[in-house]
Amino acid sequence: MNAHTAPFPMAAAAHAPPSRSSTGLRWLLPAATLLLLCFLVPVAMLLVRSVTEPSFGLQHYRELVGSWTYLRVLGNTFLVASVVTVVAVVIGFPVAWLMAVLPRGWAQLLMNILLLSMWTNLLVRTYAWMVLLQRTGFINQTLLKWGWIDSPLPLVNNLVGVTIGMTYIMLPFLVLPLHGTLKALDPSILRAAAVCGASRWQAFRRVLVPLAAPGLASGALMVFVMSLGYFVTPALLGGTSHMMLAELIAQLVQSLLNWGLAGAAALVLLAVTLGLYALQLRWFGLASKGR
Amino acid sequence: MLLDFDRMGRPLRATLVGIATLTSLFLLAPIVFIVALSFGSSQWLIFPPPGWTLQWYRDLFADPGWLEATWASVRIGLLVMVLSVVLGFLTALALVRGSFPGRAALKALFLTPMVMPVVVLAVALYAMFLKLGLTGTLFGFVVGHLVIALPFSIITIGNALEGFDFSLEDAARICGASEWTVKWRVTLPSLRLGLGAAAVFSFLVSWDEVVVSIFMATPGVETLPVRIWAALRQDLSPVIAAASALLIGFTLLMMLLAAALKKRNR
Amino acid sequence: MTSASADPADAFLSLRGLRKTYGSAVAIDNVSLDIRRGEFMTFLGPSGSGKSSTLYVVAGFQDPTEGSVMLERRSLLGVAPNKRNIGMVFQRYTLFPHLSVADNIAFPLRVRKVPDATLRTKVAAMLKLVHLEGYGHRMPGELSGGQQQRVAIARALAYDPPLLLMDEPLSALDKKLRDELQSELRRIHQETGVTILYVTHDQEEALRLSDRIAVFNAGRIEQVGTGAELYERPATRFVAGFIGNSNFLPVHVAAVNGGVAELTLPNGQRLASSRLHCAARPGDDAALMVRPDRLRLDDPMQPGGDDNVGVDVQVRDLSYLGDSVQYAVSTPWQQELCVRQPLAHADAMRWRIGDHARLCWQPSRAQLYANA
Repeated sequence: MNAHTAPFPMAAAAHAPPSRSSTGLRWLLPAATLLLLCFLVPVAMLLVRSVTEPSFGLQHYRELVGSWTYLRVLGNTFLVASVVTVVAVVIGFPVAWLMAVLPRGWAQLLMNILLLSMWTNLLVRTYAWMVLLQRTGFINQTLLKWGWIDSPLPLVNNLVGVTIGMTYIMLPFLVLPLHGTLKALDPSILRAAAVCGASRWQAFRRVLVPLAAPGLASGALMVFVMSLGYFVTPALLGGTSHMMLAELIAQLVQSLLNWGLAGAAALVLLAVTLGLYALQLRWFGLASKGR
Repeated sequence: MLLDFDRMGRPLRATLVGIATLTSLFLLAPIVFIVALSFGSSQWLIFPPPGWTLQWYRDLFADPGWLEATWASVRIGLLVMVLSVVLGFLTALALVRGSFPGRAALKALFLTPMVMPVVVLAVALYAMFLKLGLTGTLFGFVVGHLVIALPFSIITIGNALEGFDFSLEDAARICGASEWTVKWRVTLPSLRLGLGAAAVFSFLVSWDEVVVSIFMATPGVETLPVRIWAALRQDLSPVIAAASALLIGFTLLMMLLAAALKKRNR
Repeated sequence: MTSASADPADAFLSLRGLRKTYGSAVAIDNVSLDIRRGEFMTFLGPSGSGKSSTLYVVAGFQDPTEGSVMLERRSLLGVAPNKRNIGMVFQRYTLFPHLSVADNIAFPLRVRKVPDATLRTKVAAMLKLVHLEGYGHRMPGELSGGQQQRVAIARALAYDPPLLLMDEPLSALDKKLRDELQSELRRIHQETGVTILYVTHDQEEALRLSDRIAVFNAGRIEQVGTGAELYERPATRFVAGFIGNSNFLPVHVAAVNGGVAELTLPNGQRLASSRLHCAARPGDDAALMVRPDRLRLDDPMQPGGDDNVGVDVQVRDLSYLGDSVQYAVSTPWQQELCVRQPLAHADAMRWRIGDHARLCWQPSRAQLYANA
């Protein structure tokens, strides 16, 4: 479950009353210790192992980009993340748009449906898709019954199933921030565009899209980055022959005990993730982070 | 006019409503589906089910493994909740009120676990705890979940602190209250809502946490999500559907509670 | 009350029998009005009076339940707002925040596919018109409220619309800015000759800007006319109270002879005569309206002149307003009235609080309204 709340803005210096604690640093210590010992150190150790095990050097990285198997995993990961992002945008934009203009009751209903889906346990949602997409599952049975197909489609244990499942999971993460952006727009700006003579399409292209762009880009970036590093859904719906990066790392550790390569893959994932978030920070500012 | 529901033109409005309706069905269908199947009598989860039964629920409650896993999740969740709120409060207090260099950088650092892919954290912790022999222990789970839950806690409590007027503390001090009394009787009660929200968030984060738990688990000690994960790797037994339906019910309960609380605070 | 000529085709903008209902609520109740080409017409009224709703019907953002709107002899009903070629300025500026000032003004020209060279000339001309030369590259967020509103006006006029609608455009500005922009508006109106339809609840603004004013109340137009007509001869009690300051004395109609009424004040005093402004019958209660600047304070023992009516009052309060003095006086029947005397008047400053005086006015300056 991911409950996203906006990070708080820094208390302005003007708010500093005389009783400000100058020893505030001391209160940070417990959490800082936890963070250091149980987060920074382990992760650093893992990343270090990528260049020290079994011997010193960058051979794991060479292996990652040299071996066809691993390249395929990287490729799959980026492919799925891209498709999921595009589909989420195509479906999510109209939904967020409608939610922003609907009267209160209906908008609340849509919101509740989104929240229910988002807050339902991830495994439960993935399991539901495993059941729906299996050979004897509801979707295949219905398509067979209507005569649209002759034999059941392979919808699980491949990238199709992963994409469907991931889109399902990621959709609320795009709609919610985008809805916030659209709702904050003043409707009279669009009315002004109409009075100026713009047709609906011109108003959409020249006014609505540019104004929605920050929320949309921010949501899309978040969906893309999350999809890159996602573990549960691709692992369950993709099967072992269509692995994505997160599951690769897990397999390397649990089955193959190849810590060095796992560390290298983790570094790659981490670098891309943090890099994209840094880009987002620079373009859209701190307010959109964590939404 | 594109943002006026009744003036955007019929074709556009119909398209938006159509897409939204289909999407709503898309979002709801799997959930409804699983709940329905949990009462269905088909072993292979055929829909529509040939008959109705409560057998899967009986199997679920009869299996001690499920109950133990649930109980483990509850224990871990409560521990994480308490620790997360306490640590989160101290940290948020320092970040909001303290004056020391590098506050912005430290704040970003504390929020890092939130943006990092969980699998990296899970594997890293697994490596370390393996060496220390801490896998499969309550401690391991709690620590792992705590690292993930803490940023949410810091943010929630931080927001509440931002909205708190600290001159109330000064007023209490002038009245003669000790530092402890100030915090206990003035600050904390005002932050009730933020602390409560942080507690609930932290519990739910721990309750739903899958990836770190998978690596922390041993055959003897597992949380509920781990048990579901393991079961899913084997087959799609309807007992899982029963467990899922119960979890869905739990989510609905949480949503209704949140709505009721919001209404009360209005 | 309407100002409609016999043939709607003669007028530049003609509203006929407009009605807008939401279920049982009536927003516009049978509004008919003719607006002349080049006129500055203001819709004045309190909130909820239907003035904005009528404007939005002309703009095309609301469809009337009944009635017609004709601009230059063509009906506007059923025409989408973006095809009406009308300019509009909104209350909250509504500039496109992602476009520069120049691009905001150029927007309506770009959607009309105006060639670039013409576009640039026009934008420059518009910036010059609103006195914002050199601001073209700035973003709306960098401008003050007054500047943003000027850009909005420039954008609305960029495509030379025959009609400019303005929905309380100055209400978000402070007093000083508002005065400044009001002068700007009059200048722009004179320079361009565009027909302006202006909505406001500020009667002072309406008087300052308009050629004619339509006073709205509860969905209907109570009176249309120039500022002078509305001030000197308000047709209804509402208009009398809404425009300018007014005192309403409760009177009783003793008798009616021809077009003149004999009235009794609450203290029993008889009033010589009053022009009738309504269908008052003997025995009715009515209200006699006199403007504060039409009242005069005289020596208490002075008998009324041939023409004047006099009531004994006591001065309760006085305020020095720079160009005039305002007195609050209380009548024998415990009503507080407002008297305003210009300082140029020799006697203006002679009264003190507690003084007894005689309140006088010319009957022809008072208006009688029914107590409906």
